[in-house]
Amino acid sequence: MFNMEIEVKSQNDDELVLIIRDAEIPFVNAIRRSAMMSVPKIAIEDVNIIRNDSSMFNEVLAHRLGLTPLVSSLKHVEGMALADECDCNDFCPKCGVAFSLNAVGPKEVYSKDLISSDSKIKPVYDTIPLVKLKEGEELKIEAVAKLGLGKDHAKWMPTTVCAYKQYPEITFNENVEIDYDCADACPRGILKGDRRSKKIKILDIEDCSMCKSCVRASVNNYINVGYQENNFIFKIETDGSMTPKEVLLKACDELGEKSDKFIKFSEGGNK
Amino acid sequence: MIPIRCVSCGKPVSAYFDEYNQRLEDGEKSKDILEDMGFKRYCCRRMLISHVETWK
Repeated sequence: MFNMEIEVKSQNDDELVLIIRDAEIPFVNAIRRSAMMSVPKIAIEDVNIIRNDSSMFNEVLAHRLGLTPLVSSLKHVEGMALADECDCNDFCPKCGVAFSLNAVGPKEVYSKDLISSDSKIKPVYDTIPLVKLKEGEELKIEAVAKLGLGKDHAKWMPTTVCAYKQYPEITFNENVEIDYDCADACPRGILKGDRRSKKIKILDIEDCSMCKSCVRASVNNYINVGYQENNFIFKIETDGSMTPKEVLLKACDELGEKSDKFIKFSEGGNK
Repeated sequence: MIPIRCVSCGKPVSAYFDEYNQRLEDGEKSKDILEDMGFKRYCCRRMLISHVETWK
């Protein structure tokens, strides 16, 4: 595990794919769980509905507001306290950001209509439809966004897809006759039968989903799909509120902090 | 109204809903739009494809 090698396969604003070599499942899984559950993020928690004439129920509207992703990159969130760890009664500027939403119909209300008290913390997307208002209908809402953890509610999960798979390995049995049918069976088009060189080429093994369609299509067990025990393809995709790199960094920090607590405890330093 | 996020994976699909409909109206093929907007998983794709707007 100590010789672990990490390579970035692809990276953009909301997706990061890593190839981790010489690691172990419990370790990679700990990072995965940490990224999903222990990375703090801002989401609307309390909603005060002053007036809602729309045909949408208050509860549904509040739920939609909660799920709207808000920008919560580390530099914006730094210094903020988790809602249940703050020593104020209800909410204070240290642990909450106030939002207001006022609209008069006829109108379709979008996430851009949410007005934030903090210019840095605003919805990630401006185009999320929240509710529709007919002629003469009015909407008046005050909301408070708080910092929370994914283990409490999915709205506080910075990741959408956060998963790993073991590195696929495709082997051919050279002792039997070549079977070109198995290449055509691949739903992702990874295998390509080349009749001239009498080989099956593997185009992009990292795209293999290990569905084993090719194994099932082959009658003489020409092909076999397995995986490398200690190599992983790790994918983090976020909902846009943070970059995947930040999520990974914070997840590792949190995991490290928890491990430190364990070490301290076992050394008898802290209770 | 379309759910804010994909019910299965949590990707905020609703943000792309208006654009998707607009491009569909302009005669683009659904598959091409989804591919272009970066919806790779079928859970998110079905959110847009199968949504029926009943609230007009």
